[in-house]
Amino acid sequence: MRHSLMLSSRWTALLVVISALCCLFSPAISVKHENFKTCDQSGFCKRNRAYADTAAATSNWEAPYRIAPESLTWNNGQLQGTILKTINTNGDTVRLPITISFLKSGSARVVIDEEKRQKGEIELRHDSKIRKERYNEAESWAIVGGLDLSKSATEERGSAKSHVKYGPAGKFEAVITYAPFGIDFKRDDATQVRFNDRGLLNLEHWRPKIEQPEKKEGEEASGVSAGEDESTWWDESFGGNTDSKPRGPESVGLDITFPGYEHVFGIPEHAGSLSLKETRGGDGHHTDPYRLYNADVFEYTLDSSMTLYGSIPFMQAHKKDSTVGVFWLNAAETWVDVIKQKEAHNPLSLGIGSKTDTKTHWFSESGLIDVFVFLGPTAKDVTSAYGELTGYTALPQEFAIAYHQCRWNYNSDEDVKDVDRKMSKHNIPYDVIWLDIEYTDDKQYFTWDPLSFPNPTGMLEQLDKSERKLVAIIDPHIKNKDGYHVVEDLKKKDLAVHNKDGNIYEGWCWPGSSHWIDCFNPVAIKWWIGLFKLDAFKGSASNLFIWNDMNEPSVFNGPETTMPKDNIHHGNWEHRDVHNLNGMTFHNATYQALLERKKGEIRRPFVLTRAFYSGSQRLGAMWTGDNQASWGHLAAGFPMILNNGIAGFPFAGADVGGFFGNPEKDLLTRWYQAGAFYPFFRGHAHIDTRRREPYLAGEPYTGIITQALRLRYSLLPAWYTAFHQASVDGTPILRPHYFQYPSDESGFAIDDQFFVGGTGLLAKPVVTEKAESVDIYLPDDESYYDYFTYQIYSGKGKHNVVAPLEKIPLLMQGGHIFPRKDRPRRSSGLMKWDPYTLVIVLGNSGEAKGELYFDDGDTFDYQLGAHVHKEFEFKDGVLSSKNIGSKGKLTDKFLNSVKSVGVEKVIVVGAPKAWEGKSTVKVGSGQAGLEYHAAEGNKAAWAVVRVPKVAIGEDWKIEF
Amino acid sequence: MRGIEALVLLSTLSSSVLAAESSRPRGVGPEFAKFYKAADSFTCISNPSIKLDFSRVNDDYCDCPDGSDEPGTAACTYLSALSPPQPVVGAPNTTLALPGFYCKNKGHIPNYISHTYVNDGVCDYDVCCDGSDEWAGVGGVKCEDKCKEIGKEWRRLDEIRQKSARSALKKKTELVNEAQALRAGVELRISSLQVEIKEQEKKVEDLKKKYEEVERSERGKVVKSQGKGSKVTVLAGLAKQRVEELRDALIGLVNKRDELRRTVKELETILSTFKEEYNPNFNDEGVKRAVKSWEDYAAKKDAAAEIDESAEDRDIEEISKPDSETEGINWAEWETEEESDVEALYKFEEYLPASLRDWVHQKLTDLRIMLIENGILADNANSGSESKVVSNARTAYQTLNDDLGIKQSTVGDLTNDLEKDYGPDDIFRALKDTCVSKDSGEYEYELCWLDKTSQKSKRGSGSTGMGNFVRFDKLYVDEEIDAEGKGLGTGERTVLMYENGQHCWNGPNRQTTVVLACAEKDEIWKVVEQEKCMYRMDVGTPAVCENGQRKADSKKDEL
Repeated sequence: MRHSLMLSSRWTALLVVISALCCLFSPAISVKHENFKTCDQSGFCKRNRAYADTAAATSNWEAPYRIAPESLTWNNGQLQGTILKTINTNGDTVRLPITISFLKSGSARVVIDEEKRQKGEIELRHDSKIRKERYNEAESWAIVGGLDLSKSATEERGSAKSHVKYGPAGKFEAVITYAPFGIDFKRDDATQVRFNDRGLLNLEHWRPKIEQPEKKEGEEASGVSAGEDESTWWDESFGGNTDSKPRGPESVGLDITFPGYEHVFGIPEHAGSLSLKETRGGDGHHTDPYRLYNADVFEYTLDSSMTLYGSIPFMQAHKKDSTVGVFWLNAAETWVDVIKQKEAHNPLSLGIGSKTDTKTHWFSESGLIDVFVFLGPTAKDVTSAYGELTGYTALPQEFAIAYHQCRWNYNSDEDVKDVDRKMSKHNIPYDVIWLDIEYTDDKQYFTWDPLSFPNPTGMLEQLDKSERKLVAIIDPHIKNKDGYHVVEDLKKKDLAVHNKDGNIYEGWCWPGSSHWIDCFNPVAIKWWIGLFKLDAFKGSASNLFIWNDMNEPSVFNGPETTMPKDNIHHGNWEHRDVHNLNGMTFHNATYQALLERKKGEIRRPFVLTRAFYSGSQRLGAMWTGDNQASWGHLAAGFPMILNNGIAGFPFAGADVGGFFGNPEKDLLTRWYQAGAFYPFFRGHAHIDTRRREPYLAGEPYTGIITQALRLRYSLLPAWYTAFHQASVDGTPILRPHYFQYPSDESGFAIDDQFFVGGTGLLAKPVVTEKAESVDIYLPDDESYYDYFTYQIYSGKGKHNVVAPLEKIPLLMQGGHIFPRKDRPRRSSGLMKWDPYTLVIVLGNSGEAKGELYFDDGDTFDYQLGAHVHKEFEFKDGVLSSKNIGSKGKLTDKFLNSVKSVGVEKVIVVGAPKAWEGKSTVKVGSGQAGLEYHAAEGNKAAWAVVRVPKVAIGEDWKIEF
Repeated sequence: MRGIEALVLLSTLSSSVLAAESSRPRGVGPEFAKFYKAADSFTCISNPSIKLDFSRVNDDYCDCPDGSDEPGTAACTYLSALSPPQPVVGAPNTTLALPGFYCKNKGHIPNYISHTYVNDGVCDYDVCCDGSDEWAGVGGVKCEDKCKEIGKEWRRLDEIRQKSARSALKKKTELVNEAQALRAGVELRISSLQVEIKEQEKKVEDLKKKYEEVERSERGKVVKSQGKGSKVTVLAGLAKQRVEELRDALIGLVNKRDELRRTVKELETILSTFKEEYNPNFNDEGVKRAVKSWEDYAAKKDAAAEIDESAEDRDIEEISKPDSETEGINWAEWETEEESDVEALYKFEEYLPASLRDWVHQKLTDLRIMLIENGILADNANSGSESKVVSNARTAYQTLNDDLGIKQSTVGDLTNDLEKDYGPDDIFRALKDTCVSKDSGEYEYELCWLDKTSQKSKRGSGSTGMGNFVRFDKLYVDEEIDAEGKGLGTGERTVLMYENGQHCWNGPNRQTTVVLACAEKDEIWKVVEQEKCMYRMDVGTPAVCENGQRKADSKKDEL
């Protein structure tokens, strides 16, 4: 039906011939590595690594960078001066302005620029019209706050070093060494982060190209150019594309050491473990640095440092009881080398008490050195400080955290309606159905295929009947076709990305020949917003939301499947400078567009993105791209999602079922059980796969999948509460062990089990084939209970939890209270008025605490107080509900609207034996029934309070 | 477990039940009224050991493990095998006691709906026209009773449906009659053919005998020279002709081979360019497979050492040259041979007296026949020349015999046709060779009964075969029926399987499952691609209508 896919009929005909030639073969599944650069094929990567090797091999290596002490000035928490880089044996130097800012938040920022470029005193080659400065606008896209300078920081300048005290209670200190330049960031007098420890600081200063006389044939390259390999300075070719590099070499690099830290996490997106591996070869290590260069990597491989669709250059280092972090604010292609070195402090106790230093080396192709340093001491402090700068996760629409049913493609509006009916018929809850590219008329966004989607409005109306939504894809490539109003406008208004010659850039993507909207341009954003107005986008409605794919950008015929680096964006910045930001600018434009599609109706947007950068968390959700229907990919999902979460972008998920290939039914079932714990929970499938809507699996699979979905739905109040917390302080939604238990060294590297928000729910979904059980690691001696049976597990260490296909290994940690809504409905929107169930999980102390946050799940009224935020506490036999929300203009109105919503039951897991025989509890002046169920075998005692008749929005007490 | 699928349609309502209606708790259907009669206490329906104060019925809290205390609320909806398991006390009967929430739907037909639809803030008029599912008015929702208008519209449509159903049955009867007539026609034709065959067989037998006789007598005759020259020269002539034919054929074949080689070469060039230039980001399994198999093909080809074909080619070239005095066979030498002595010897008969000559001749002929029949002498009947008498006899025999064969195979075909499955009552015999089509979005679909299915894109490119009929089958379906009565409904349906259609890019050969339900006229209702290139056509036809049977719960969806 869609074999016309994207092949011209000529190709189709040819391929039919070929497929006739071929009979049986297994498809070779693997990334086309040759489409993506290794470090060796990336000029500046190779140069910076070579620089590092030279430094390591040179005894008494001294970095040629020193601060001119007389240049230093201190003003309001900011130290400014000039670094002199010695560029030859004559002692000639270039001037590099440096600014070190100490922020009110306790973070520090180091920016190093280059004077000549800053002042425009350089010449561009090829008559290029691009800007001469190093790119200095990443901040305007990524940073939204937290830049206030510290008023309490103090500087003490010496002849060789400058000491700055800053941070909370002045506990932090930065020691800036002048020659060679270096900075030690200390907390409580101990160095936590060290800049230029290995002397790898490198800022490739501007130089004119000196034309070498043409080499005569047979003549070997003479060693004139004192060791520096200039072959990649002036142009670089890869895969048939040549990068013209009008500014010559301009990379920046810096080494950052974390003394005594054995683990580093973060710098997504990579398909690998949460704890980053070493990258300079050796047993089990990567051979290439972790690369950050947003790219549409086809069929990516697992356990790899290869780049993927998005980048967040934010890293945390963790050791017992301490977490610190760095944020490398640079949007150009970036690589990060990681090595770990053991240092025995006492030579007599080799191995024992020896500590490991993690040494990282960061380099980017262009732009500034702009690094933030966070000194913790907790992981929460670090993510929170990072979030203060780049923004916290947007509080999503409530439906957005429910289940999404997607497929490339639902073939018609009738198909969509049919799936919608069948989900209802099979009592399977879902909130959103999705349309991939085939819904459009000939891949022209903002249009509907007139034959297969003749009535989008009718389709949206049917979905709306059960409060369901539609998400349609809209990508940044605009089909280059006469008569298509969007492309004609784009061209007329000159809002597209340009090529190096300043003409509109043309490349290939799904629609064939296309142009790319340049969302760095504020005028383009304004225009884009207009396209989404309900009266402009025919067939759209307020329950239609958007998916932005291919925004790396993916360009099928471009170098590394993306744009040429010498393309030119708004403001005459090269694509090279802004590549990693590109996806976020498009995501941002769509976010802006969805805010107010109908005049006066401002609602929270929902936009899914594939490409991302620091700050994308403010705009919507991401997913891990085109994974495969394999157990390996199922297992790879959690480390990736955890890593995204601690890097400030927790609204993340992997395609449930696997995008490529057909999952076996047990794999599909396990994947739904895992997906029920993805912050972003979407089933998706490639166009060549068999249909796999949950009701098609058959029993027992459909039933088990439905249980997993209903588990997610019943816990939506807890998930929403976790999202709210992430939206105010950046705490990840899925929390890894090191985050929750910073002292427990054996848990630092764990990335296959996690806690859900602050609920105390500890999950380890099964990700291996034919598993009968899993070993769950308990980080403390608290009591844990099986979520479904209340079986007790206690004692630090590993515990075997039986997990046949129908069972999700999920434990409740003692000491927590979490909310549920147990009544199954067709969608989350239809659960709004249902009563809550509160689960109190009593721990060793006999006490428990928890929270509930909710609002209308749709508008921004919560910012005006239209929300309920409760803290529940069980202590001394009393359960109390206390308001912890802020009051605003709309608080009372909202409370009034939810006054009918109450608590239907309170379940107490691990109920005290003393309650045996107790049949009532006191609720205010009245009472409610209590059922007590004694412990049985290894199953805990539990009790249920029957309809306490308390409103969820009010403060109240229940006395047991 | 409950759900919409558990909806039960109550088709009859006795007046006594109606009278008792007002006293039933909310959501209780008349047949369960008896469980809710006691004034003070309530006993869980499936768990009689559990007794509750009657105030606990419909108090929005689930007390009975079978959900029977909450007939009118959604409180027990979590009691479901589809919900996450929760600890249970003891071993209660957890099978749900009630089929759902009972919507009285006064003015229309009462209906049970899923309890999950109760008080969710949505008026589910399609299943509960009186709006009683939203009695609590959560979130301010008000569902007014619409049964009057919905019921009226339903009755109007139902009348049409019933009329249409009657007419469908009538049409079915016509189809059955037509099919029977067609069958009778076939049977008639078979019997008349059988009579003809019987007669003809006899005639053929006679003619055969006659022919054999003639032939036998002719066989004895010595070949009379057909022209100048001996048998050898005749042979040489024939051989020359044959050799030239073969040579021409060879040259033609060689040319064709060369042409194919060029084509293969061209294709290989295209393919290797394709392999270099294809873009893996198109995410197309088929392209990837194609590239992979091209690589395998190329590797295999490289591995097999290039066989040196030059010697073979030289031979062919040599053979292809026309024969002449110096090359190949010098035919002239053979074509002009003088009469030999041996030949003269045969003429000795001419010197004998006539009577003796006849006798000798007769004896010689007999001897020859004897020798031929014993395989000693070669039979010259095959030598290409045959006497007119023999050929006439043979033609007469063969013509009639061939005709007999045709008649016999026609009888065979017709007999097979009678045995072939045309469905119950042979009904599809009446539809055979007719087609129905449907315009559906991008495609126009066509179903030819018991023949083939196809789709035609409106964006150009011709018709694509979606399968050829292979067999009848049965399928349990659970589908909607629209207001006009179109749709498969619920139950076991007759299926026509069409397989082995055109091969699908990246997929299997196309196939179509044609699911039939009763309708007034032949009509394709819906075509869906259930899986890649596996289609399902929902088709209405009077051919599957059955007396007194309606598609199950056809009312439900119009409520």
